[in-house]
Amino acid sequence: MKPAIASPRPSDLRALAEKLVDQARKLGADEVEVSVVDGREFDVDVRRGRVEHLVEAGSRVCGLKVIKGKRTAYASSSDLAPGTLQRLVRNAVRRAELASPDEFAGLAPLSKERVDAAALDLFDPAVTALDSKTKIRLARETERIALQDKRITNSYGANFGTNELRSVLANSNGFVGEFEQTYCELSVGLQAGDTDNKVEDSWFSSKRHFRDLASPQDIARKAVERTVRQLRPRKVKTQNVPVIFEPTQTSWLVGFLFGCVTGTAVYQKATFLAGKLGQKIGNGLVTVIDDGLMPGELGTRPFDSDGLPSRRTTVVEKGILKNFLCNTYAARKLKLKSTGNADGGGVSPNNFYLEPGTAVPRDIIAGTEKGLILIRTLGHGLNSVSGDISRGAFGLWVENGEIAYPVSEITISGNLGTILSSIEAVGNDLEFFSPVTGPTIKVAEMTVAGS
Amino acid sequence: MRARQPKSPQPGTPLPYVDHFHLDPADLRKVLGLALSSGGRFAEIYMERRSYDFVNMEEDIIKETAESVSLGLGIRVLSGDKTGFGYTNDLSLDKVKKAALTAAAIALGKAKASPARVREKRLSKSAYRVAIPADKAGLKKKIALVQEAYGAAQKSDRRIAKVKAYFQDSLSHIAILNSDGLFVRDTRPMVKLVCVAISEMNGQREFGFWGGGGRVGMEYFREVLTPRAIGERAAREAVLLVEAKDAPAGEMPIVLAPGHSGVLIHEAVGHLLEADFNRKKTSIFWNKMGKKIGSDLVTIYDDPTIPAFRGSYSVDDEGTLPHRTLLIEKGVVRGFLQDRLSAGLMSQPLNGHGRRQDYSHAPIPRMANTYIERGEHAPEEIIGSVKKGFYVASLSGGQVEDSGKFTFSVSLGYLIEDGKLTAPVKQATLIGTNVDILKRIEMTGPDLEFGLQTGTCSKEGQDVPVADGCPTLKISKMTVGGRS
Repeated sequence: MKPAIASPRPSDLRALAEKLVDQARKLGADEVEVSVVDGREFDVDVRRGRVEHLVEAGSRVCGLKVIKGKRTAYASSSDLAPGTLQRLVRNAVRRAELASPDEFAGLAPLSKERVDAAALDLFDPAVTALDSKTKIRLARETERIALQDKRITNSYGANFGTNELRSVLANSNGFVGEFEQTYCELSVGLQAGDTDNKVEDSWFSSKRHFRDLASPQDIARKAVERTVRQLRPRKVKTQNVPVIFEPTQTSWLVGFLFGCVTGTAVYQKATFLAGKLGQKIGNGLVTVIDDGLMPGELGTRPFDSDGLPSRRTTVVEKGILKNFLCNTYAARKLKLKSTGNADGGGVSPNNFYLEPGTAVPRDIIAGTEKGLILIRTLGHGLNSVSGDISRGAFGLWVENGEIAYPVSEITISGNLGTILSSIEAVGNDLEFFSPVTGPTIKVAEMTVAGS
Repeated sequence: MRARQPKSPQPGTPLPYVDHFHLDPADLRKVLGLALSSGGRFAEIYMERRSYDFVNMEEDIIKETAESVSLGLGIRVLSGDKTGFGYTNDLSLDKVKKAALTAAAIALGKAKASPARVREKRLSKSAYRVAIPADKAGLKKKIALVQEAYGAAQKSDRRIAKVKAYFQDSLSHIAILNSDGLFVRDTRPMVKLVCVAISEMNGQREFGFWGGGGRVGMEYFREVLTPRAIGERAAREAVLLVEAKDAPAGEMPIVLAPGHSGVLIHEAVGHLLEADFNRKKTSIFWNKMGKKIGSDLVTIYDDPTIPAFRGSYSVDDEGTLPHRTLLIEKGVVRGFLQDRLSAGLMSQPLNGHGRRQDYSHAPIPRMANTYIERGEHAPEEIIGSVKKGFYVASLSGGQVEDSGKFTFSVSLGYLIEDGKLTAPVKQATLIGTNVDILKRIEMTGPDLEFGLQTGTCSKEGQDVPVADGCPTLKISKMTVGGRS
């Protein structure tokens, strides 16, 4: 029998990253970057008052990027045994020769600027200290409160999950950084109506700090309200009407915009916004920010995966496209500067949001003679190359400034470019319930297809 | 009365050395004993070592290659309807034991069961068809495939502005050991070659996508689907789309092209026949077993045993031998897709549909290769029967919720006017409620085909490879989400 192979302890992860950088350099790599992430996860589902599923685990993954003669190879492994890692490093250095030379390849130069990770408030010891009983109790309590409402007929269960992550990044330009972060999330999913007339929805709170998490009462109340308001829906006739996006819906729209402003999509011509830098792509109500520095928020981090310090970037300012979001590679391709959005080989958002306006959501509805409040979508139907949108939708129909009845089995369609130019109102209700977010907005016109 | 102490595991048939995991069989049996130490009725160890290769071409260069290793072990304990789950990718014995105790804690009591004698289950039938294994082929051969697809797309039309192509293969070694005494091993191959082409005309851009693969070897790309065909087809879709009109909006008759339109069956029927949703009564189908919910033309199977297919496996992820499962027969609900947990609680036989993304997830009921049976109407007759409608040529995906509302997204369609396909139309999402749509399936063709062998299905955060199939099929009325 072979002995069990010992893997490194958490305290050794930084040393491991630095050692792998050295090894790859010695094997002939010009440039090397190594990331190691060590995570602990807890997740419990409670359904109808009983614990249904409980997961607790720790896991690690190591990622490696090697550049030799401007040729790039990647490797990654969840097996941190020294033998496996050494083999992957050797293979990567050798394999790099099989890629084409790429003049834009290369690590980011070492930045003089450093962001103090501690000041970003990403880690909460209270999350790590929570015991299983408390987590189960919170989930159970949330579901119990929701099920007290007689209109709720079934439950998808409540979930409480936590994550603790420690991330280390080292590269051959001398960058070494590490930080710890925590997440906690409490949610519940519900059904109302009988079997053949079901409606469903859920609500959640997701935070880095336990103290910021919404209470079981708040989450349950909101989940119930969101579910029962859809009961007894109608199908409307096909027509073009104003569409009011609730914040959860603005969130996916803003996420779609993110996909259209990444430097990667731009050089690949995979976005309708390629070539539009400095041009008007929306009306004056549209200001969009990416901010990696907001203390305690979900999308905050001290540095990106290229080792560059996080920053705040204005992406759209009063309708003018000011910046594409780039990693080092895309920035070189486009002769722009990196915005600190590198994530593995790609680009990801930090806290990416549509700036709030002054309109009160209630007034936006009151000022709408006829239209749709979009509350949920089903399906994908987003095409960043053309900007086209077509999705299954659920909503509330507005007549004479008031909610008249719920609607379902309809679709909404339009184009992101047109939408950005025809936003009529932006709400004052921005919340960072997710790293990609926005307030209530009203779009002048979209096609609602129904009967 | 004294509680019974957990029995030490029985010395059973010696296990073959569990090669990829450096774990001793005697230790693993002890781990199973630990997993049952709080009174769970069933415990299972799932071990997995998966290696991947990846080659990516864009901007006319082989931009990068990648190699990944995923190693880990998941331990599951069932106690009534409760599941305890722990996993680790550190396979030292103390970490594995810790994962076992984590999973064990779902049951609150003293040990009731002990692991049975272990016997290895040998897999007599393989669902995989490999002549030239991708893991042995060498990276240069994979690079050549990518270059060929890329070049074919680029050369096929002047309006092609950008191309991307990638190849990915994986080899997964799994071993499952459970407290019922089952021990089974499987080695699962997978390959995939994909090309994306972006067309440009008058400042408008669109993209086309095509690809193939499955549980096959490198020979597939010579014998079944060539890289050139993949590249050319991606380019053709892109060019058709840049010339296409906006899709219409509103309710109209729909004709689905054979093949990838099986996404409709996957969304409208497959998910809501997964046993977990029915055991929990969240699915609209939970009280419809034996009831007629669709037209006589609707007969639907899920078959994980189709050789070489992306959704296929020789054994499911909890050690059950899979077989073709009848879900709907002439419109009547006949079966649910079962995993061990739901089958046990519903007192139903297993049918080999317990799947997991990897070692870090517990298995849940999933589809494999889902299809609707062929019918007798000639495709021309089906299209010919529509005065004004919408023909779905290719799809990009879909989604369903438990109420039966589902969508699928068309990437390329055609208008049907006076029984003929006319103008190409682009992107539209279609929406309907399954029990309405299944009743409106009024013609099916003899031309059953399966769609692209590139599909992935997501459920509860777990992605698994799947395939879908359908013949030419007509739905009398469905809402098309185009523009008016």
